[in-house]
Amino acid sequence: MADGDMVPQAMTLVEDEYPHVRMDPFISIMEDPDEVPFIIHRVDSNEIVYQPRRRKAKLIGKYLMGDMLGEGSYGKVKECIDTESLCRRAVKILKRRKLRKIPNGEQNVQREIQLLKRLQHRHVIRLLDVHVNDEKQKMYLIMEYCVCELQEMLESTKDKKFPICQSHNYFGQLVEGLEYLHGQGIVHKDIKPSNLLLTTDETLRITDLGVAEKLDMFAEDDTCRTSQGSPAFQPPEIANGLETFVGFKVDVWASGVTLYNMTTGLYPFEGDNIYRLFVNIGKGEYTIPDTLDSLLSNLLTGMLQTEPEKRLGIQQIKRHDWVIKKLSRTPDYVPFPPSGEEGDVYRSMSVVQYLEDLHSGSPSDDEEYDDSQIFSDNIPYSANNNAQPVVKENTIPEHKHKKKRAKSGLLASCKQS
Amino acid sequence: MPFFGSSKKSPQELVKAIKDQLQVLGTKSAKGYQTDKKVSEDLTKNLQVMKTMLYGSADSEPSTEVVAQLAQEVYNTGTLILLIKHLIRIDFEGRKDIDRIFANLLRRQIGTRMPTVEYLCTKQEVLFELLNKYEEPETALLGGRMLRECCRIESLTKILLYHEAFYKFFDYVELSTFDIASDAFSTFKELLTRHKMVSAEFLEANYDRFFVNYQKLLSSENYVTRRQALKLLGELLLDRHNFTTMTRYISSPDNLKLMMNMLREKSRNIQFEAFHVFKVFVANPNKPKPILDILLRNKDRLVEFLTKFHTERSEDEQFIDEKTYLIKQITELSGPKDQMEVLK
Repeated sequence: MADGDMVPQAMTLVEDEYPHVRMDPFISIMEDPDEVPFIIHRVDSNEIVYQPRRRKAKLIGKYLMGDMLGEGSYGKVKECIDTESLCRRAVKILKRRKLRKIPNGEQNVQREIQLLKRLQHRHVIRLLDVHVNDEKQKMYLIMEYCVCELQEMLESTKDKKFPICQSHNYFGQLVEGLEYLHGQGIVHKDIKPSNLLLTTDETLRITDLGVAEKLDMFAEDDTCRTSQGSPAFQPPEIANGLETFVGFKVDVWASGVTLYNMTTGLYPFEGDNIYRLFVNIGKGEYTIPDTLDSLLSNLLTGMLQTEPEKRLGIQQIKRHDWVIKKLSRTPDYVPFPPSGEEGDVYRSMSVVQYLEDLHSGSPSDDEEYDDSQIFSDNIPYSANNNAQPVVKENTIPEHKHKKKRAKSGLLASCKQS
Repeated sequence: MPFFGSSKKSPQELVKAIKDQLQVLGTKSAKGYQTDKKVSEDLTKNLQVMKTMLYGSADSEPSTEVVAQLAQEVYNTGTLILLIKHLIRIDFEGRKDIDRIFANLLRRQIGTRMPTVEYLCTKQEVLFELLNKYEEPETALLGGRMLRECCRIESLTKILLYHEAFYKFFDYVELSTFDIASDAFSTFKELLTRHKMVSAEFLEANYDRFFVNYQKLLSSENYVTRRQALKLLGELLLDRHNFTTMTRYISSPDNLKLMMNMLREKSRNIQFEAFHVFKVFVANPNKPKPILDILLRNKDRLVEFLTKFHTERSEDEQFIDEKTYLIKQITELSGPKDQMEVLK
């Protein structure tokens, strides 16, 4: 029989070290399907050997945790899924121990929660839920899911900048968001690319209101006294240490630096240390690269005016020709960079593996799971909203755990082969 | 010159054909409007061709040049207003295409110029024709959508706000057909909230007339109107852009009385919304005498009332904080005599 000849061939190919060669017999079969109606295809053992699940399901309230999205000084941000609505979310995990080490850390978090709770706008991040675990001294802020920070995207490019049309798109949205915040009497005080997130449909969301200030409802103007924002984005009035300054114009300045940074890959002011940086900002001398067109440099000049009174206001920016101008998308538009160690270009949902563990994790495959543990994994479904996460959540042992299991996986594959 | 689909018409010919067909459909004879099936079908076809010219098709991008010619022809022949006027005599598919055509033309931009917006600024009657659609149930929602499309543009919002016809909204939002009334309300809200500076200036300049009318909405027989109006009022007053309007609003004892009555409404939702306006009166550090008098006269009752007010909202920390603050403020209120002493 013809296929009798094919089988050994396929088998030898399987043993080949180069997986792409293996495709060849298939191609020939496809070309002549009548001759070879059936083929036994052996797969390299590495491909089918049971890979131990290293993802262990963990629920905080109704939220199933996924992989880590980012890490800050306060703690981690993880992806998660709302097991009731099946919406993809992000959770900011704050550890009191870490917060204490940051100046005003705890206060800032409280303020951020207070502010975010009442805000609702297309260009401001939504805080959906807050869980506190007093026992572990942890706080979980459940936010809407965003794909990535502008900063991360900038860093993924060669020149650390966006094409003009892309900057234009994000900047317009930033201005809309700021107009709303200012309308609510909130000065953000820390506008910069790493505090601007994008959703899957590229809607910009302003985040991190940790150092924001809410003006008194009856305050006649927007005078502020304190600032804790990022140095490179601070305006001259703060760099020069003025006691009071006009709040909204601080955000305008920082947005100007952000726009400058997005379009050029540079910062208008630099310095080896914060002192030098502030001296340079205070002087207010900077240059705009002549690669930028005159409209854009006019806008930047208006936003980076040393005198707050001369600096453009949000309304003037909204009406600026560069902002109004329509730009068509150019081919060098920067995509979302791939996520995770595997470099997933689709930035797929990372909770899937945890979901598998939650629902089909069977103890028989792995001695390390015992029935009680699986059982406890499921308990949070019935847990109340102030849920005390049932599964022990302790990062360090979990790492050990992973390694141990990986090792056992390796052994298993040896045994099989 | 590229052609589109089966049509061999140039933009000029297409616009002319559409205009002619509209005129046929719009001619009123003794028996009423003609219903020529053939003309109507042709018109729908032509509208579809026009839409394809603007949006392109699966295998062809729209040509900038053709779009420019088409737009120019639409402006020159005044076709937009005809399309809107005769909306009711165009079939369903045709209406849908008109919606898309209008949106496309409106968003058209050359550099910083927006030709259709410029055109509409000189032909304002188009906007008011759209507004009048609220009186024509069959096309009200479509007209409303096109109108909200115009609200995206600051200059058009300004025209709509400052025109006499704006006050028709106060009737439209109370129309008996629920979906039309809701649609009118969302357009009304869009006009007042989208372009902050324009609406803030408008409210300041037309404070009296606007709020006399708004008062009617707040005391409407219709629960939905009352609730929506109250919510929007809160939003407007708490937006810093409307600071001047807010200070003026909270200086009026009548407004305070209204809010105190709304705090006791049957509906808990209305009570809750009213709370968010009422708190502004109390939090005001410079309460005018009439306001202070009312609060003082009702001091004990208010404290008692607020203590029991929506106690089930134990999860809402912000609400609890605000309520506690208000109770404290009212408890500590002192009469004018005491105030004088403090001043001394």
